[in-house]
Amino acid sequence: MKLIIRILSALVLAVLTAASIRVGSREATPPSRGGWRPVDPEA
Amino acid sequence: MSTIWVAGAGVVGRRVVRFLAERPVGIVDPRVRGWSDDVAPGDVVVVSTGGRHAVLAAELLGRGVSVVTVGDDLADCRELLDLEDQARTNEVALVIGAALSPGLSGLIARSLSDRLRECSEIHIALHGTAGPSCARAHHRSLSGSSPSWVDGEMRSTPGGGGRELLWFPEPVGPMDCFLAEIASPLLLHRSLPDVPRISVRRSARRRDRVTARLPMMRSPHPEGRIGALRVEVRGVDHDGRRVSLVHGVAEQVGTASAAVAATFAEAVSVKELPAGVTLAGDSRVADLRLLSRVVARGVRLQEYIGDLA
Repeated sequence: MKLIIRILSALVLAVLTAASIRVGSREATPPSRGGWRPVDPEA
Repeated sequence: MSTIWVAGAGVVGRRVVRFLAERPVGIVDPRVRGWSDDVAPGDVVVVSTGGRHAVLAAELLGRGVSVVTVGDDLADCRELLDLEDQARTNEVALVIGAALSPGLSGLIARSLSDRLRECSEIHIALHGTAGPSCARAHHRSLSGSSPSWVDGEMRSTPGGGGRELLWFPEPVGPMDCFLAEIASPLLLHRSLPDVPRISVRRSARRRDRVTARLPMMRSPHPEGRIGALRVEVRGVDHDGRRVSLVHGVAEQVGTASAAVAATFAEAVSVKELPAGVTLAGDSRVADLRLLSRVVARGVRLQEYIGDLA
């Protein structure tokens, strides 16, 4: 049973990976919109 | 000086020992029979094992041993909060959630909210995992119920929703973040009960969300890459202006968590923290400047300064 679930999971993983490569993803890095600077916690 | 014992030799546990190398410190494995024979009343145990910690903590508190837990499991943290009376009765300290979040997020949230006249919102976001146990917890959290405080009421929202694109300190940068079952809002509300809105999100890929209810498809990495924490606090400052303050860190999750756990363990061992439950967002913790001590261990705190364009 566990093996079957793992095989199905691997198939889902492969399909999702292929789909996200093909369609492109909203998770792609957007242009930089912010800056950070080190800060002293006591400041 | 009491001995600090670290239960669990994972990514976080080993680093806690390294951070405390100049003190009496030892590492123990709770899975081994008789592991606690050397642990004496008055000692401190940092519980950094995977899974739940409440049962182990109750046993140690009953023996007069102070406990620092490193975990974000919601049900476990609820059970740990119920141990307050036992800790007070035995005159020992119980620190709940001394990791990245809960933990460092509480220290930062307290330091930012103290700058405001009125704090109305705290929003926490996490990226990355420490060791394999942490990665499994990350996987589960996206299929659980995310606790949020909305207008002063606790709400459970299904994990994996509530997408928000958030900027973390470099090199992590922007990540899609989603609501997740993490105990931070539960603990933060106890420390900052007047803040009506508290939420927690964690970064995830589409694949993580879709497969959250399935077993993990591949074994987790021995250790994740650079992770990050972002804490945003909104409210009204002392000049009456509405402001949004954002602080964060970009660091290996295991290292940052260990720095927090080591700092709390040290504070407990020298009796800086009182008997009973202590949370990272408590005002008495802020008085001890524990955030500065965590930063002194090499966890670089950063401030978001907005749009550079």
